[in-house]
Amino acid sequence: MAAEFEGRVKMHFLLRVLRRSLVALAAALLLTANANAAGGTFRYASVSEPAPLDVMLTTAGVSLVIGMHIFEALYTIDSHYQPQPMLAEGETVQDGGKTIVITLRQGVHFHNGKEMTSDDVVASLQRWAKYGVRGKLLFVEGSSVEASGKYEITIKLPQPNGAWKNLLAHLEGGPAIYPSEIASKATDQPIAQSDYIGTGPYMFKEWRPNRDIEIVRFDGYNARTNPGDGYSGKRVANFDSIQFIPVPDVGTRVSGIQAGDYDYAETISGDLYDQLSADSSVKVVKAGAPLFGLFFTNSKAGILKDNFKLRRAIEMAFCRNDALRVSFGPQALWNAQGSIFPPGNFWYSTAGTDKYNECDPAGAKALAKEAGYDGTPIRLLTSTNYQTHYDQATVFVKEMADAGINVQMIVVDWATLLKMRGQPDQWDMFITHHGGPPDPILLTFLNEGYPGWWATPEITALRAEFTGTADLTQRKAVWDKIQELYYEQVPAIKVGDAYSFDIMSPKVQNLVSPLFWPVFFNASFN
Amino acid sequence: MWSYALKRAGATAITLVAASVIIFAFIHLIPGDPIYVRLGDTATPDQVEAVRHTLGLDQPILVQYFQWVGAVLHGDLGHSIFYDEPILSVIADHAETSVLLATITMIWVLLIGVPVGMIAATRHGSWLDQGLSGLAMLMASVPTFWVGLYMILIFAAWLGWLPSSGFPSLFDRGGIANLRYLLLPSLTLAAPNAALILRLTRASMLDVSREDHVRTARAKGIRPWRVVTHHIFRNALLAVVSAFGFTFAALISEAVVTETVFALPGIGRLVVQSILQRDYPVIQGVVLVIVVLYLVVNFLVDVSYRFLDPRVELQ
Repeated sequence: MAAEFEGRVKMHFLLRVLRRSLVALAAALLLTANANAAGGTFRYASVSEPAPLDVMLTTAGVSLVIGMHIFEALYTIDSHYQPQPMLAEGETVQDGGKTIVITLRQGVHFHNGKEMTSDDVVASLQRWAKYGVRGKLLFVEGSSVEASGKYEITIKLPQPNGAWKNLLAHLEGGPAIYPSEIASKATDQPIAQSDYIGTGPYMFKEWRPNRDIEIVRFDGYNARTNPGDGYSGKRVANFDSIQFIPVPDVGTRVSGIQAGDYDYAETISGDLYDQLSADSSVKVVKAGAPLFGLFFTNSKAGILKDNFKLRRAIEMAFCRNDALRVSFGPQALWNAQGSIFPPGNFWYSTAGTDKYNECDPAGAKALAKEAGYDGTPIRLLTSTNYQTHYDQATVFVKEMADAGINVQMIVVDWATLLKMRGQPDQWDMFITHHGGPPDPILLTFLNEGYPGWWATPEITALRAEFTGTADLTQRKAVWDKIQELYYEQVPAIKVGDAYSFDIMSPKVQNLVSPLFWPVFFNASFN
Repeated sequence: MWSYALKRAGATAITLVAASVIIFAFIHLIPGDPIYVRLGDTATPDQVEAVRHTLGLDQPILVQYFQWVGAVLHGDLGHSIFYDEPILSVIADHAETSVLLATITMIWVLLIGVPVGMIAATRHGSWLDQGLSGLAMLMASVPTFWVGLYMILIFAAWLGWLPSSGFPSLFDRGGIANLRYLLLPSLTLAAPNAALILRLTRASMLDVSREDHVRTARAKGIRPWRVVTHHIFRNALLAVVSAFGFTFAALISEAVVTETVFALPGIGRLVVQSILQRDYPVIQGVVLVIVVLYLVVNFLVDVSYRFLDPRVELQ
């Protein structure tokens, strides 16, 4: 009897322990689940290792994706690609656009705890003006920037620049704001990793080459209060940390998402688009803005130097649909349209586009003959690093041959191409690609110093007219004229709009639709 | 033995000097420019020239070479243009993965290639030998990127047993358990190399088994398995050990396809990436270290002959 009683007591005790353990386990699981929803580590599989994260000095995509979380500029872009204040509070434009006074937000802190003031902004803009990739587009000779108060700066320009706000909003090679002690000592060399200090919602933690770059939530972040819209408005860091992991093979990036090893994988091959769109284990994220391939023509030397008729013959012979289908796959990922900016964009224009995608080899042959073309090889530089460049170049060469135009493809790696294209005697055409910038002035073919060197009197005059006014309606009218001229003088040949796509885990929610690059503030796990 | 070691050290020094000239000349003679790669598509010629001057890349090539050699002799391999770190630190980061991957792969190769090669040799001409030899041919001929991608698909994406890619350091959270990240890549790399060792073990053993001392051992009534292990296998080992040494060195420096597929931070990927970016100091440093590695492995293999076969004289 005593043994039976003792047995019951033991059983009762065991059941009690078991019940409590189960309750504790359930509570722990619930807490863990909540913790995951609110925080967790977000793992981003990138194509390659980024260039240094000093965003003033680089236009490399992966660096920008990471940099967008660490650094902020005075302005940023909303979902309609319009500039909106970020670190700026507001501005007044005086003296016909030659003086711009910008007031700064108060209470914004850097990751080192220091409050941002006009000294930091001035030092950053001065460094950008001197060494930044795009600094000279705004700060031409005779420009200045100075502090006109603790939270106010004044920019003075010798001529009005209608693109000033867009230039201050575009972080690609753009004016990120660093602490003055870092910006003032920075040179043309990228700043050290220990100086990756910005005002963004995440702060730099560690870079382990070929393993990962880790950024962690900045608890002192002072978010804007207006609702998030594109990159603008309120930014919330929901993840505890984000790891950017280089995974060069596209198959591995896809399998890694399916296996749950990554949460987001960039730049997936077009031929996987249909398959992955139907796969419930991943979500497809299509880029908001297209990229477009550009075949630049050489305006400094060679057979195409000033033979606009021959350039137009090449333009006429090029069938874009074939090139886009071969390089990007399903039609959902490309659009053969001739406006430099895509439909829906403020700068969209049909001026001159009747000459786009004529796909007329017989007409091209006749025009080439009229241009005095004698079969001399046209040297086309292309690279194998970007498969789409090579694919488009291959189609291009074949279609030119059909029109009797002899194109000789010179295939090199990207580093060699970058070097060779700086030497005018080495090439007649080269292929690269372009993202849609927030302002036409950022287009590379409008930069007369960029290889291609389009600097005819007509474009020089139009460029001056375009930047000389801040009135958007006037600027748009001039842009239409520039595009018309683009199709007459053919400084470059646009292939077509291509929409890259990424994939992510279905557990990711509230992702900001990628405008230029994906960003992960405001996103979280469900 | 010591005089042999000294002679080898002298030859090694000459080889290193020659290697340093070749490495430096080749990397600087190929076209391409690290500054353009680093600054991006829109850098102006002025910006490029300013950075070139800062990095000392505008100096005559001979000046650059002697500066590099001088620094190397002081134990300084230089500074990476892209990683903003000393080269030794960059190499050390990547060497951990490569050495571990090569070691685990060699364990698979040893466990699979040698015993299966012995079985194939002892069952020479049988269906088992034919089957194993055919399997070895298949393993050697299937591309590693294909094997790797299917491994990931089956064991990571479908079954979820192992991670698909990456490798956190053993010093990171997870510690020794992080070795599971290297299971799939090591098996992928082991497949063709085990096939090579299998075929080599089999062929060497068949050669030795036809020699007189083996026939004598059998005539003396020694047990068949002892004849295989003590009289045939041991004498066939020289060729296998040579292959082992060079396979190990090659796995450290040439596993670039597997490292790319599995996103491993290894030496092979570092070299290829540095070449594409024209990160001259890293390429020079890594290739120099690889040359030293080959020389050391070569020396160790030569010395091991003496222990495996006392008849070998080291002169």
